Amino acid sequence: MDYLALTLAGILSAGAPLVLATLGETLTERAGVINLSLDGTILLSAMTAFAVAFLSNNPWLGLLASVAVGIATASIVALMGPVLGKSQLAVGFILTLFCRDLAYFLGHPFARQLGPELPVWTIPGIRELPFIGQVLGHHSPVVYLSLILTVYLWWWLFSTRSGLDVRAVGEEPWAAFARGIKVQRLRIVYTLMGGALVGLAGGAFSLAVKPGWGRPQGAEGAGWIALAIVIFGGWHPLRAALGAYLFATLQVLGIHLQEQLPGLPAPLFQVAPFPVMILTLLLVNVGKASWFQDLTFRYPGLKRWLSRWQVTAPAALGTDFRPEKET
Amino acid sequence: MRVEFQDIHKYYGWVRANVGINLVLEPGRIYGLLGENGAGKSTLMRMLAGHTQPSKGCILFDGEVADGLNPSRALNMGVGMLYQDPLDFPALNIFENFLLGGRKQAKKQTLHRLRELGERFHFSLPPGEKVSELTVGERQQLELLRLLDLGVKVLVLDEPTTGISITQKEMLFATMRQLAKDRGRTIVFVTHKLAEVEELCEEVIVLRRGKLVAKLQSPFQSDELIKLMFGSEHEGIGKTQLRPELGKEKFLQLQNVQLLGDKYTLRDISLQIRPGEILGLAGLEGNGQELLLRGLAGLARVGKGRLIFDGEEFQGRPYLKFRQAGIHFLPAARLEHGLFPDLSLVEHFRLAFPERNGDHGQLLPEEGIKKFSIQAQLSTSARALSGGNQQRLLLALIPTQTRLLLLEHPTRGLDHGAGQQVWSHLLDRCRRDAALIFSSADLDEIKAHSHRVLVFYNRQIIADRPVHSLGVEEMGRLMAGQGRAV
Amino acid sequence: MFQAARFGLSLGRLAAALFISFVITTLILLVAGAPPLHSLVILFEGGLGSAAKVTQTIAVWIPLVLCSSALLLTFAPGLWNIGVEGQIILGAIFATGFLRPFPAGGTGLHLVGALAAGMIGGALWAYLAGVLRTWGRVHEIFGGLGLNFVALGLTLWLIFGPWRRPGVASMSGTEPLHHTLWLKGLKGLSLNPVSLALAILAIFFVIFLLRFTRWGLSLKAVGQNPEAALLFGLKPNRRILEAMVACGALAGLAGGLQVVGVYHRLLPAISSNYGYTALLVTMLASFRPHLIPPICLFFAVLNVGSIQLPLQLQLDSSLSGVIQGVLVLAVFLVHGLEEHFRLLRRKR
Repeated sequence: MDYLALTLAGILSAGAPLVLATLGETLTERAGVINLSLDGTILLSAMTAFAVAFLSNNPWLGLLASVAVGIATASIVALMGPVLGKSQLAVGFILTLFCRDLAYFLGHPFARQLGPELPVWTIPGIRELPFIGQVLGHHSPVVYLSLILTVYLWWWLFSTRSGLDVRAVGEEPWAAFARGIKVQRLRIVYTLMGGALVGLAGGAFSLAVKPGWGRPQGAEGAGWIALAIVIFGGWHPLRAALGAYLFATLQVLGIHLQEQLPGLPAPLFQVAPFPVMILTLLLVNVGKASWFQDLTFRYPGLKRWLSRWQVTAPAALGTDFRPEKET
Repeated sequence: MRVEFQDIHKYYGWVRANVGINLVLEPGRIYGLLGENGAGKSTLMRMLAGHTQPSKGCILFDGEVADGLNPSRALNMGVGMLYQDPLDFPALNIFENFLLGGRKQAKKQTLHRLRELGERFHFSLPPGEKVSELTVGERQQLELLRLLDLGVKVLVLDEPTTGISITQKEMLFATMRQLAKDRGRTIVFVTHKLAEVEELCEEVIVLRRGKLVAKLQSPFQSDELIKLMFGSEHEGIGKTQLRPELGKEKFLQLQNVQLLGDKYTLRDISLQIRPGEILGLAGLEGNGQELLLRGLAGLARVGKGRLIFDGEEFQGRPYLKFRQAGIHFLPAARLEHGLFPDLSLVEHFRLAFPERNGDHGQLLPEEGIKKFSIQAQLSTSARALSGGNQQRLLLALIPTQTRLLLLEHPTRGLDHGAGQQVWSHLLDRCRRDAALIFSSADLDEIKAHSHRVLVFYNRQIIADRPVHSLGVEEMGRLMAGQGRAV
Repeated sequence: MFQAARFGLSLGRLAAALFISFVITTLILLVAGAPPLHSLVILFEGGLGSAAKVTQTIAVWIPLVLCSSALLLTFAPGLWNIGVEGQIILGAIFATGFLRPFPAGGTGLHLVGALAAGMIGGALWAYLAGVLRTWGRVHEIFGGLGLNFVALGLTLWLIFGPWRRPGVASMSGTEPLHHTLWLKGLKGLSLNPVSLALAILAIFFVIFLLRFTRWGLSLKAVGQNPEAALLFGLKPNRRILEAMVACGALAGLAGGLQVVGVYHRLLPAISSNYGYTALLVTMLASFRPHLIPPICLFFAVLNVGSIQLPLQLQLDSSLSGVIQGVLVLAVFLVHGLEEHFRLLRRKR
């Protein structure tokens, strides 16, 4: 029982940065913009968070800095993509490399230093509960934030007027424009807000989940996993969070496995999530392939089972919307 | 509200879409805005709704100049527009669609408004239903309610009757009359169909080649309107070109075929086509014509039954095999699905006629351009072509050995002259033993050119009749599900 | 006249982009507490300062040109072949695997075999990403990227597992190849005429394919409009797989050359991120083949020069990547702003 509770607590904690990044990107993509730069942004904000915390000896300032970095990279995406109409994929990819290298370059003096970490909060009233207390009662603030934000974003996206506006913009920007919704502004705002959450994920890594900075930091690849989880989650906050915890579970299992098999090199465990990533994407997308449709024609049971996994992207995801192009 | 257009000009590059238009629209009246495709009707109305700005001139609302209009400002001023393809959100539900861009109020109140308005006009729109499940007519009704809820004073309807049934059309017309008479709304009804103008409008404005050529009061003279719409080119109207003779053999046969599409399935289709035959497909959008054409092209799966072409039986999705056997499909969205926007004419020819690559080089494209009178150079990209030229290019790219042509809306968006040219080419093909199956929203076009007509309703073929035994009115009734199935 | 005006404009654009990059790089160096001008001088001297350094730069130029021109083939049908990195690695693995049975050395024929094996390895990995895309509908960015990590894992497993050096398994890689299996450079220099010839050949070959063959045209057609390509009978899925395989083969060749010509063994970092850098090159060239060699040269100078940074200034060598990224972003920005203001002007 204790062991299970501790494992669950470990999953919640390990999954927190992934959840934050996934939620942020879900928000951005719901507004129709792809911010592909996650992997670089997370590293750069992780480095900045650690550096600022180290220099100021205040982890909270570090966390704030990580958010600022997330917003800054997202603002480049927003400027190049929605505003200037450049390919969002291209800009995001360039930023991925740029931010990663910048993180390594600027973070050089901070590598392998001991720095401050975010405190661990004990929640009175919950901590005393049997089992649940062990799972939920004693965590870093970023873990609580990830849990609260998941539920909040889900409620906000599907039950509020502004959430509806965002979904509308991501689906049919021209129709939204015709109804007086400020499409361009919303796209920019939610790209920045999504970026803020992605930056927070970086801070969560270097100040709580994988404390410290180095080359490699250990968060490499997490951004790509988060991007894949957004798709796997069907652009739905709850399902996306579920996907993030699935990967966190794999990670925790990996650590246990590594203890069992000490002969294998550690980096091997770091690449293990990627085949899983490919398989999950296969699961949610294969239903669109024509050979598969032919197959399900023969075996309708297969279709029923698979259809619950299939996802559809926001219709206008990654497209260029600039009313000024219309003369 | 009184709307005044003062000396409106609109240019797209070299194209003059509107030239010096002066016009006043009074409240409480129903106007018809008439003109053939490309006459500049939509452009003029899009300026009124703030989607685009005039190159020169201004629009006045109640005597005040409205500068820098955009859709939301136009809506605030009281101008609402209903688009030909509804500008809504298929992925969201009816309630959410009604809510978007609307006034800020509690959910309960909004639901109440939606129900109240629906009852007033006898529309049935359950709030939880997804808009992608609705017919075009229902989507228009929803848009209409939304605009009325916003309190629009000027309502523009852009070709609203294209995709809707006769019942829905009658309901729409009744609503328009009620709005104009009881509530003093200005209604502008954009169309190229004379009959509808005569039925509904009190006043008609005729545009030709971007210019306002007449503003007339009801009752109208059809002959006069035709002359105004088409100018001196109108002689061709109503004169049908001779239909080709039918061959003997049945070279395409479908026996109880089931076609599986992405969204729905067509069941139990049986038909036979002979060389030279022209088969028209009538039906509202989404009722099965699209799937039949795609199925015959080998782009949708043949589930059950037998499909025999030229003595050979085909199964599955045999697109390439069909293509080699001489079946050719042209989609309705020419640039989106049929051409390569940034490739040149020469490159299109090189791709379409691989076997004639080496020897002819430039010759083949040059011949094609001349023969099909495509007004462009060899190096022009497909994107830069007009709709008519795009369609002529697609026709020029059809391999000579093609024996079955499948066309979706062959003349959609083309002006009258270009449409005639397309048809004379198609008929020529059929005279040389090809067969043609085409769908069209224009029942007159079906009536004018087909030997036989299939009518689709509710994703079934409900009639398969020789064209002389089926009038346009009856076709319309059958399409709306108001006739005996045959 | 018109031509001259356009040339002037694009020179102006380049100058603007270079200026922006320079300013941003200077700022970054100041933040890092490094002397900006001095750092840049060291960077360029490190890449061009001596004959030995120039040959090193050319040694980096070779895989960059191979991969960038290969990427033209996948960008033509609109594919984002991020998996090119893994395709290099697989090329290296296959080339190493081919030569391992010959610890006592071999002939030139063995080298040809190793390069062929490398091409097959790269092609195979690319084919996998292509199949995931066409059959599994997994976007090639995710398929390719996932496979990059898998390739990295595979390399590590080989180095620490079946191919480990007798005695100690370490990040320094497998046992070096027998010296007769090294693709030799010119006397004492690391400049390698065979590799150089292959790279130059590759870019001309790609230009020929894209400009003068119907296959190349059909790739572009697939990229422009897959649905129309289907209707034209161009078999879009097969074209996509072909483009991937061709690109992967060239990337695999680059990987094979890294093994036989540069490192003479398999290393964990055998691909040196050249695949990702090549993606930047191709984007910076806006897919125009003739711009690829000069851009690759510039990037190679940065890569080689950056090795001096940790040695002389205690800075991280990733500055080269930072400058490359800034440059591409700056070009995008200048381009985007230019179009933006043109649109605004036209609207008025």
